[in-house]
Amino acid sequence: MLQSRFKMPSRDELKKRMDKIPDNLMKECPICHTTFFSMRMGKQRTCPNCGFGFRITARRRAKITFDTFDEMDADVTVPDQYDDKKYRGKIAKAKKVTGIKESVLTGIGSLDHQKVAAGIMDPFFIMGSLGSATGEKIVRLFEKATTEKLPVVMFTASGGARMQEGIKSLMQMAKVSQAVEAHSKAGLFYLVVLCDPTTGGVTASFAMQGDIILAESHALVGFAGRRVIEQTIMKQPPKNFQRAETVLDHGFIDAIVPRTNLKQTISQFLRLHQREASHG
Amino acid sequence: MFKKVLVANRGEIAVQIIRALHDMNIEAVAVYSSADKESLFVHLADEAICIGGAQPSDSYLNMAQIMSAATLTGCEAIHPGYGFLSENAEFAEMCESCHIQFIGPSHQLISLMGDKANAREAMKSAGVPVIPGSEGDVTSVDQAERIAEKIGFPVLLKSAAGGGGKGIREVDRPEELRDSFEQCQREAKASFGDDSMYVEKLIRDAKHVEMQVIADNFGHVVYLPERDCSLQRNHQKVIEESPCILISPEERQELGEIVAKATLKLGYTNTGTYEFLMDHDHHFYFMEMNTRLQVEHTITEEVTGIELVKGQLAVAANEVLPFVQADATVKGHALECRLNAEDPENNFAPQPGKITHLFFPDGSLGVRIDAGVTNGSFISPFYDSMIAKLIVHLYDRNAVIAKMKRVLSELEITGVITNQAFLYELVTSDRFKQGTYSTSFIENDVLAGRRGLNAAKSV
Repeated sequence: MLQSRFKMPSRDELKKRMDKIPDNLMKECPICHTTFFSMRMGKQRTCPNCGFGFRITARRRAKITFDTFDEMDADVTVPDQYDDKKYRGKIAKAKKVTGIKESVLTGIGSLDHQKVAAGIMDPFFIMGSLGSATGEKIVRLFEKATTEKLPVVMFTASGGARMQEGIKSLMQMAKVSQAVEAHSKAGLFYLVVLCDPTTGGVTASFAMQGDIILAESHALVGFAGRRVIEQTIMKQPPKNFQRAETVLDHGFIDAIVPRTNLKQTISQFLRLHQREASHG
Repeated sequence: MFKKVLVANRGEIAVQIIRALHDMNIEAVAVYSSADKESLFVHLADEAICIGGAQPSDSYLNMAQIMSAATLTGCEAIHPGYGFLSENAEFAEMCESCHIQFIGPSHQLISLMGDKANAREAMKSAGVPVIPGSEGDVTSVDQAERIAEKIGFPVLLKSAAGGGGKGIREVDRPEELRDSFEQCQREAKASFGDDSMYVEKLIRDAKHVEMQVIADNFGHVVYLPERDCSLQRNHQKVIEESPCILISPEERQELGEIVAKATLKLGYTNTGTYEFLMDHDHHFYFMEMNTRLQVEHTITEEVTGIELVKGQLAVAANEVLPFVQADATVKGHALECRLNAEDPENNFAPQPGKITHLFFPDGSLGVRIDAGVTNGSFISPFYDSMIAKLIVHLYDRNAVIAKMKRVLSELEITGVITNQAFLYELVTSDRFKQGTYSTSFIENDVLAGRRGLNAAKSV
């Protein structure tokens, strides 16, 4: 080993020097393991080497995907009846981090002059968990889309049903599914983009109901978690188990689209389905 | 002023920066690759940290490692030298985030000047004359054809992201454009990962004249006498001189005022060099701006008596420039030859190896030799092949040439093949003595003549 030659600073001095370096200055890509300067992720928050899309807030997603975005039901939030102190603390923190009041951001967006009803789940809001107000916001979005004959684009990112809200959280699966069904029966187009992570109750309901199901590269897509499965079947699941690429191979996803191409791909799908509707 | 500065470079420029730091009573920290552990600059530095393997990407381009070394040693600033990270906007930005002063312009200006098309637009609006060419990136052959027709052949195709002689093609006739454009685009894609092109009028037989400026944070700008860097091979400079003998003091002042004004308008600070082509009628056309110290800054130091690295340090430490425009006058004439470990008989292929014997003929008035090597040093295959810069400065150009001729014949170096004889041939050529040589001189006169000779021999 080569011998560097320098004066080792005292412990306190070293700490002082190290404090000048901001946290998260460098980032490591979990997929290709390249280390890079965080600024290089750019607006899209992707790995500069392999293009892997890091988790992003719903607000950022709206900004990078749509040309305009008018938020709906911005004040719909967790009902007061849930007064557990720890839960309220989590909600308060999530609101601060994400800048939204529930785990989904809904609104009417435009993409290359095409109007679309859009729902974007936020993985930083208690892991995008499906609370009762989340379900309510998504239902209102689908109902508005059905009335106004708009396609829906849904970005899913969720750890599943929200434990703190018990059975009412689970009920959202059925409630949203019905609204999706009504939208579908009206002959309208529904596109889902599975983002990292899409699991649990969300996978078991509206995430899998899309006419077209896209996924971001390497996104975790599954129902039960790896550990739960391991403990149940007493076997080690394969390495790429529940990665979007594996799920695609098994036929549950139509295509994997890297984040930088997503806007263009969604726009094409919308255009394609608009024409079909006008001819039908 | 800073107390401790990290030098993020190697070889002769690291030596020069460390010496300037020591002159100013500033501690110098060197970072080095495993291939450079025995190098002169490592020995000269007060502290030295090995930052990785011989490949530049593992060491001198490894931003995280360099930043760690700067933090560990408590450096307040980083001097990037030339090459490596010196024009890397991302690195400059990283320094800013870590509260370490990058000794150079702001990252915004580095990135503006790094994109040729944007730089040209910025210069145009700052009143600097530019070469007629495409507005913005050119992505298709049809587009290139339309532009070439408008500005007239011959044209030059250039990669927008390029540099270092890659992704450049000269096109003489319209029927050659299509093939050249596609080749150039492929080369650009392979070298820089970006195939956007740039089309401009080719100014043949021109002089490469450049003017360096230095500006502080208080609105002071000083332009320095021009350098004539027309002696190039494959877009790489071989011999530089200052001033350019074809330029009158009035022209110097006019050009100087243009670049000084542009520097202020751009909000550019620290040092940078405006590169121009000058045609037979003495029209200047902006080519690009180097946002760093240049290899040939030495001849400017010689003719002006101004130490540029020290100026850079003052500006970076938020001090007022230690000199004014009136100090930057032309005092005599300076010439620099780049001594490289390369084989002129073998298409200038780099010649790595150990220097077994070295004698530098310094020790007379006006001879300066900037080198990063000593007797026994190893010329590594991983880095550029420059061994030393031989600089002569006297009051009269003819005396300078005569002394350079003597220096080149007295110089002894064995163990590696060098371009010593080639430099001698250039310096003693009539065309060089006249001073009217253009950028195509080496390629069209010297090397073409040599090829003709070889062909004749083989018949």
